[in-house]
Amino acid sequence: MAHISRRSVLQGMGAGLGALAAAGPLFNANKAFAAREKELNILCWEGYNSAQVLDPFRSQTGATVKAESLTNDPTMINRLRAGEINTWDLINVNNPWARKVMLPEKLIKPLPKAEFEPFFAKMMPEFKWPYKWAMSEDGSELIGMAQRFGPYSFVVNTDKISRKTAEDTGWDLFNDPALAGKYGILESDDWNVFNIFIIAGIDPFKVHTPEEFTKFEETAKRVFKGAKLIGDIASMNQALISGEIDLHMTGGTYSVSPARADGHPNLRGITPLRGPLPGGKGGIAWIEITSTVNNPNLSPLALDFLKYVQAPDVAHTVAFAEGTFNPVAQMGNKACFDLFTKDELDAIQWDSLQEEMDRSAEYDIVPDYDKALDLMNAAKRLRG
Amino acid sequence: MADLAIAPAREAAPESTAQLRHARMLSVGARCALPVALLLGIGFLAPLVAIFGYAFATPRSFDVFTSFTLANFATLFDTTNTVWLSFFWSCGLALLTVAILAVIAYPIAYGLNLVFGRWSALISVFFVFPLFVSENVRLYGWVLFFIKNGVLDGTLKWLGLSGGPEVLYTPGITLFGMVYTYLPFMLFPMTLGLALVPRDLVDAARDLGAGRLFIWREIELPLAMPGILIGMLLTFVLAIGATAEAKILGGQSIIVISHDIEIAFTYSQNWPLGSALAVLVTFFIGALTLFALSKLDLDRMLGRR
Repeated sequence: MAHISRRSVLQGMGAGLGALAAAGPLFNANKAFAAREKELNILCWEGYNSAQVLDPFRSQTGATVKAESLTNDPTMINRLRAGEINTWDLINVNNPWARKVMLPEKLIKPLPKAEFEPFFAKMMPEFKWPYKWAMSEDGSELIGMAQRFGPYSFVVNTDKISRKTAEDTGWDLFNDPALAGKYGILESDDWNVFNIFIIAGIDPFKVHTPEEFTKFEETAKRVFKGAKLIGDIASMNQALISGEIDLHMTGGTYSVSPARADGHPNLRGITPLRGPLPGGKGGIAWIEITSTVNNPNLSPLALDFLKYVQAPDVAHTVAFAEGTFNPVAQMGNKACFDLFTKDELDAIQWDSLQEEMDRSAEYDIVPDYDKALDLMNAAKRLRG
Repeated sequence: MADLAIAPAREAAPESTAQLRHARMLSVGARCALPVALLLGIGFLAPLVAIFGYAFATPRSFDVFTSFTLANFATLFDTTNTVWLSFFWSCGLALLTVAILAVIAYPIAYGLNLVFGRWSALISVFFVFPLFVSENVRLYGWVLFFIKNGVLDGTLKWLGLSGGPEVLYTPGITLFGMVYTYLPFMLFPMTLGLALVPRDLVDAARDLGAGRLFIWREIELPLAMPGILIGMLLTFVLAIGATAEAKILGGQSIIVISHDIEIAFTYSQNWPLGSALAVLVTFFIGALTLFALSKLDLDRMLGRR
């Protein structure tokens, strides 16, 4: 046997460490292969990551469930593009991304239709099978499940601007010089791009001409200059309640419902009666679609979780998860709807939900978003 | 077992000149620490290398290390790009923060050393204590203090006055937030610097008839300068990267450079541009730090007492 000195032991350790480092990814992958039965990773919008939603599933399955919430779709999708496809099992983003981007890029994989189709029968009428955003472009594959949704245009303090005036004046409120310094802008830049286009009288979801971009730029500069503050949802609600601002751009049930539930029913999401969107619509609505990631080693719990959140009680919990309260497609099922109290229905503006959805175009992808965003970011810098 | 026994010293001795040199270069401790040091080194370098790699990648792509372009830097140096405004605000606010903090912290540091006596420790704790609370929470606290019908405005109205000033969501309140946040980072190095001034020297100068101002200018200030400069440097480096103050208190009335980097990595999804901006800012701060440190005699500061 070879003679072992301290130096050769150290050399051996070094070589071993090197080999370990080189084999690291493989080692992890093997470990992952072995452990996925009891592991689920969810990349989602705020709400699905709450303990109220996840804890019952954890105790039911004994699994380690991790959920990370982000507040914009492109960031989540780019996490998959940047190589995290091996990490996540479920991704929850707004409606167009699954169908138009993630499926063609093979970032997500279809769901077993036979297992999931029956759930759509219990959803609200507009989500009935085959629901557009849950299907692939050719309609052959089921690519995700719908749950939370809502209109999302702007929010006013109805003590300062009546609901009627707000709906009737619509986006022109932000063109009114008298309201400069009295509105805020929610820091949600993809939506702000949509809304600046709409305030400029342009449909956001199409390819834009140079003239339209010039108008967009002018509008962005003026609207951002006139804003009292830009901030997150908490800042907007706080500023509305305190009276710092009378209204804020980009907002709706998702953002204002916590404040309404907290005893401020005078704050209200508004969907304008008319606007430059197709069909003369004045608002935009979002619908979340949750899909299974094209993970080569997808956790079997991913499908279980998608079924779990369809149950009436869990769907109600998802609707009222901490942070933001929203209607859910499962409210089409009486067993689920009956779980909502009067106050909860009031918080999510159930009284006007249908008409607001009817007046809203569905969230879509702006083809020249990058250019618009660059112009908007430049406009933001000119605030100072 | 015999094979594993520790080899006699003679056999373990280096066998060649090269090995002898190698053995002399690294002590046993250093060699044992090498794996950990390597791991820490990789952990430190990997993100920097990734950012550096991304800075030269095709704009709005994830082609790190597989593409090379200077387009991101060209975009940043394009004269029509308004990113310089963010840079201007960050530098300006950081400089103002440093200047204001130097004036505020000096008397406190002086007091901690020479005036507060046995209360010094307690007072120091008061300055350290806020650091245990998250910065964002503290800043939201200030929002509640300054907001309309908030603590200040509400109290003044309750007292029958016209209410508080409208200061929220302005660049001024952003500066206030930065001064508030970074006070301890200026105060403690400055306190250390002042502690290193030998009192004998001050006494001797006084005995020889020097006035207070003269003593301060000729003895205290130069001898405490290393501590003061380190405090200034630390505060400047932290302040130039500050975002929370401009976002939470300032309501984004101005966009600071680190916020621009954040936007590039999130909504814009232009990691290469964000990386190029991060690299530029890092180089700027790095060069400034090296310049300042070259002017400092750390040995003199740390070698005493």
